[in-house]
Amino acid sequence: MTPSRAAIVEGWPIFVTAVVVGIAFGLTARQSGLTVIETSAMSVIVFAGAAQFVMVDLLRTGAPAPLIVLTVVLLNARHLLMAAAIRPFIGKASLAPRVGLAYILTDEAFALGVGWFRRGHRDLTYFAVFGGLMWAFWNAGTLLGAIFGADLVDPQRYGIDFAITAVFVAIVVIGVRHRADAVIAFVAVVVAAGLRLAGASAVAVVVAGALAPLLSFALRERRE
Amino acid sequence: MMFWATVVASGIATYVMRSLPLAVTARGTAPVWLRRYLDALPIAIIAALAGAGVAVPDGQPTGGAEIGAALVVGAVAAWRRNLLFAVIAGVIAVAVLRSVGL
Repeated sequence: MTPSRAAIVEGWPIFVTAVVVGIAFGLTARQSGLTVIETSAMSVIVFAGAAQFVMVDLLRTGAPAPLIVLTVVLLNARHLLMAAAIRPFIGKASLAPRVGLAYILTDEAFALGVGWFRRGHRDLTYFAVFGGLMWAFWNAGTLLGAIFGADLVDPQRYGIDFAITAVFVAIVVIGVRHRADAVIAFVAVVVAAGLRLAGASAVAVVVAGALAPLLSFALRERRE
Repeated sequence: MMFWATVVASGIATYVMRSLPLAVTARGTAPVWLRRYLDALPIAIIAALAGAGVAVPDGQPTGGAEIGAALVVGAVAAWRRNLLFAVIAGVIAVAVLRSVGL
């Protein structure tokens, strides 16, 4: 299977989710008083699902601009980690493709891209095709929701909203190579879940993702 | 005006965080500790995303449907080593578990 084809075959459940959640975003933004242009501009310029929902909520409640931007920075700080983590896989490419692909670096593109690289592939096509289609479906969904609104789908129906979480779980299970990986993954799951339940959703992923790999030092030393 | 300033600033901030580690040109090879950390990083981040997603999807306390479905996903992924099968099984599982009230 070619990298492009693999990206579509493996990515389609996530594309469906992107459209459905995009519709929900478009709808929510319009109900919060944004125009169709403003709603779509957010999906093009920011292109970060969770952060966009939070932004709309803060805009609606009249939060000051610096607070909104700071919240987005905290929420998206996890992308710093993701970019650092895929650097070893795509570091050989020249600057233009690297900074171009950074624009489509989402949680989903990161997770699928890592899944692809871990199977020994070194091409950027898979990541680019998946990320580009993800962008297209997210923006198409946003526009649909912003224009047609109300009587479209509810993501929780049929469990579609769970597809993205399911992708993360499956990639971890398939990607674990040895005991240290399993321990680190388990700790990351527990810390992220705990932080989210404790109300620290904005930083749950970046904190858990940054701390859990520190265990690799302890685990490696004990084994040697 | 405030809307556009907020959106553009948020977009730039997000893009800078996505691109910075990819844009800087590293000379020579990374020290061993850094390589070890970066090697463990991808799985840790994806596991953190999974943990956050299972704990409270959409910010609402759940009755456990997501936890049960995540176990189904894990089992199918370990058994078939196939991403697509695992995801479809998870979506079906969560729909079934929610329909019985979990």
